[in-house]
Amino acid sequence: MSAPLLWILIPIGIGALTFFVARDRLLIITGGAASLLLAGIALIVPIDEALRLGPFSLKIASSASLFGRSLVLNPTHAPFLVIVYGMCALWFFGAEAAGVARRLVPFGLIITGLLVASIAVQPFLFAALLIEIAVLVAIPMISPLNQTPGRGLVRFLIYQTLGMPFILFAGWLLAGVEASPGDLALTIQSTVMLGLGFAFLLAVFPLYNWIPQVMDESSPYIVGFLLWSLPTIASIYGMGFLDRYAWLRTSAQLLAGLRATGLLMVVTGGLWAAFQRHAGRLMAYTAVAETGFILIALGLNPATSTDITFLLIPARGLGIAIWSLSLSILKIKNNDEPLRFTSMQGLARSYPLASAGLILASLSTAGFPLLAGFPPRIALWEGLGQQSLGSAVWFLVGLLGLLIGAARMLAVLVMNKEETAWVSRETWVQRGMLGVGLIGLFILGLFPQALRPILEELPLMFQRLGR
Amino acid sequence: MLLKTDKILPPMLIIITTLLLLATALALVILRITRPEFRFNWLVAVGGAFLAWISVLLWQAQMPLSLALPSWQPASLFSESPSFAADRLSWPYALSLATLALATLLTASVRADFPNSISWAGSLTLCALGLLAVTANNPLTLVLVWAALDLTELITMLRSVNGSQSSERIVIAFSTRALGIVLLLLADIVSVAAGKPMDFLSTPPQAGLFLLVAAGLRLGVLPLHLPYASESSLRRGLGTTLRLVSATSSLVLLAHIPASSLASPLTPLLLILALASAVYGGWMWLRAPDELAGRPFWVIAIAGLAVASALRGNPSGTTAWGVALVLAGGALFLASVQQTWLNRVLLIGAWTLSTLPLSLTASGWENNVGGFVLALPFFLTAQAMIIVGFIRHALRPSTRPSLDSQPTWTKGVYPAGIGVLLFVQLVLGFWGWDGALRIGAWGASVAASLLTLGLLWAMPRFPVLNPVRAHWVQPAPNSRLDQLYQNLWGLYRFFGRLSQTISNTLEGESGIMWTLLFLVLFVALLTQRKP
Repeated sequence: MSAPLLWILIPIGIGALTFFVARDRLLIITGGAASLLLAGIALIVPIDEALRLGPFSLKIASSASLFGRSLVLNPTHAPFLVIVYGMCALWFFGAEAAGVARRLVPFGLIITGLLVASIAVQPFLFAALLIEIAVLVAIPMISPLNQTPGRGLVRFLIYQTLGMPFILFAGWLLAGVEASPGDLALTIQSTVMLGLGFAFLLAVFPLYNWIPQVMDESSPYIVGFLLWSLPTIASIYGMGFLDRYAWLRTSAQLLAGLRATGLLMVVTGGLWAAFQRHAGRLMAYTAVAETGFILIALGLNPATSTDITFLLIPARGLGIAIWSLSLSILKIKNNDEPLRFTSMQGLARSYPLASAGLILASLSTAGFPLLAGFPPRIALWEGLGQQSLGSAVWFLVGLLGLLIGAARMLAVLVMNKEETAWVSRETWVQRGMLGVGLIGLFILGLFPQALRPILEELPLMFQRLGR
Repeated sequence: MLLKTDKILPPMLIIITTLLLLATALALVILRITRPEFRFNWLVAVGGAFLAWISVLLWQAQMPLSLALPSWQPASLFSESPSFAADRLSWPYALSLATLALATLLTASVRADFPNSISWAGSLTLCALGLLAVTANNPLTLVLVWAALDLTELITMLRSVNGSQSSERIVIAFSTRALGIVLLLLADIVSVAAGKPMDFLSTPPQAGLFLLVAAGLRLGVLPLHLPYASESSLRRGLGTTLRLVSATSSLVLLAHIPASSLASPLTPLLLILALASAVYGGWMWLRAPDELAGRPFWVIAIAGLAVASALRGNPSGTTAWGVALVLAGGALFLASVQQTWLNRVLLIGAWTLSTLPLSLTASGWENNVGGFVLALPFFLTAQAMIIVGFIRHALRPSTRPSLDSQPTWTKGVYPAGIGVLLFVQLVLGFWGWDGALRIGAWGASVAASLLTLGLLWAMPRFPVLNPVRAHWVQPAPNSRLDQLYQNLWGLYRFFGRLSQTISNTLEGESGIMWTLLFLVLFVALLTQRKP
């Protein structure tokens, strides 16, 4: 048994098999349990070490060969696998409440397997190809085959596909930079190529306009899954570049550029969120700001940047999951009509938990205390304040925009025109999933050290970054 | 292994008091769900509140107390972790909140909705959160407790109102308080940027004003605003607790601001704003048709005085006004049945507010930074209006039911509820904290007392000083302030249309071309910054 087989090929295989499962409940149990099991194995069973179980001995080898390429998942990847598959389980179990199990579970497992492969593949440049395959697999997940793809989906495909050649080309140039480090022109060219590639991949300003469009066109829960998985893996992939190339890691210009780009995303995402009248698009802009937070974290002091980045990831995942689940529940209620504010007035009285999910998730993104987003935001803000007070003020502008967006949505949800009694029309499954998620938001907000045993091991994935 | 009880127990006192209140609240909720017919809910609630009150008194034996919760990790990212401390400035706040919780439950015995265990659970929870707020040992802890209070208040208020306008006002109030949280965080960032993580012991000069504005914003003082001017159906019990705990949690921040950190050219402006709140609140309180209609004005008027104390570098004075707000106000707002001698005893509150020597607020007009002479007469006038309003509301002839018409058992319990609030006001004038046994600025207090007497004389003689009818009380200050808010709303809509236009352009048919153009411009801008 090898780690790549266990955490890459098996989930892809299970994903393929679940296409043939007819019942939604069985589909969810299969996908959720498989993800939970994979997370549990990553947590308990060491990679590359023999584990004795009575007379039996089990060893998971760290590497496997596929089409002439190596897939390597070291023991240091275990915390990453725990988080990825743990979050996947959460997403898949929530799929029933969101009513999208049939599309999310099979495609989600395949996409997750491919994204894990992109982290494991060596030479690491092939990751761009694996991410592109994951993007292609995501297309039928976002838009069913019997539907005409919307403009947002087409742009998603265009931008993500454009990113791949830039990264591959940058990788080729980087090999040249390693051979002749003094070649300044080559260095600049490779940096610009790399920057453009990741700008497309991470949907950096102004390349993010597909996100609100896709949110408008498709199921919020499915888009939420993509907005969680793709930028998270792309960020870790980008950190891999910083880890490998010392001149990238130590370049003050690159770090300043990352901070500036991140701030631009936080500010534009926040400002656009403040003026939205559509709950789905509001979520899209907060997801943009979330990616901005990661970029700012990467541009901070290298000693703390990885810690902050990994602190952001669970809060981001939980926030987007709750937000998109709540949106899906309200969209089902709205007969799949777009979630404009005009059609959401007073919904808090009939869907209190889904409304609470929307509000608390949006407040969490805005860094409201007590919620999961607060500890990473405050660490990030302080780190930015140490670098420059002006940047910290711009950061504040972004947060205020997100806060205004959350307050406006709250005002809409509680705006009842006539006397309406408070009743909960969510199903028990929906209540259960939202309840668990909301408790998680508060636990991470009050005790950010709760995930410390896993998060402190994550930077070990990199040999030099954060050391 | 032997436990070192002398090291473990004192810090635990803070948590014991809070847990007593929270556990009682939880027990009430569980009893309500599992045994709706249970008849001793009130006794459980009063028992828990009484034990909590006793435990706060016990804090005095081991002061100062401190309690640190598990550290936030990684330590390299978080310079602070949640921690609580009780000293001689936070203790009177804690005692006043525990007293308020006890008094709310004791006076609940005469309410029309008795028994109402959910409302009692709400009051106990709010007081527990208030206790955590007043003992917060650093800004991080305070913002966490503020957030908990704001969310609790949001849920409580939303459940108690109907209609879109009321809901909108609640959301605006919540947003304003959230803005106060952001300002406190900004103070922390400014402090970090100056090279020093902020705590309440050493606030850098750059951050002091942000702290003041954060507290002022949450109190409705800076700038003057009254989000809850028209009170909801939450009247005496839970409503009083909600208003007073919320104000206390913000006032406590003022006591933590060192005078040295307030030396700024903006200080006179803030003093004028505090004065405006005190005078406006005092005037509206004086003329309010009844004490509940005037409650929001009571809060902003006294908060204005507390902010002025903070601006004069007088933490004891700030604490004195804050504690008076809870104790004197609590006694008045919880008094819902009529009895002549009890009405007269309520006048102890007027003594509490007088700033006369040995009263609770004796340190209220002490001045540790100089200046302030020009503003003092106006503040004294505001104080006189507050006292006269208090006397009028305490003594007014009322159509409220008489205590004699209540069940026999309540005739002892209800006065005990009012009495405990009055008793603590008197005790704090003499014992237990930094502002006790003070002579204070006796000249100012005598002047305020004379002004009070003058106003009392003038009230029946000048119609302008008479109370307005209830329907004349506006829900919020209108005219210019409303115009300002309208203009801000217009600006918001303009930017909304602008953002919509840009979004439509980027998402339209030619969007990809525009996007690539923006990208090129952005890359060009970034590369220009290179040396």
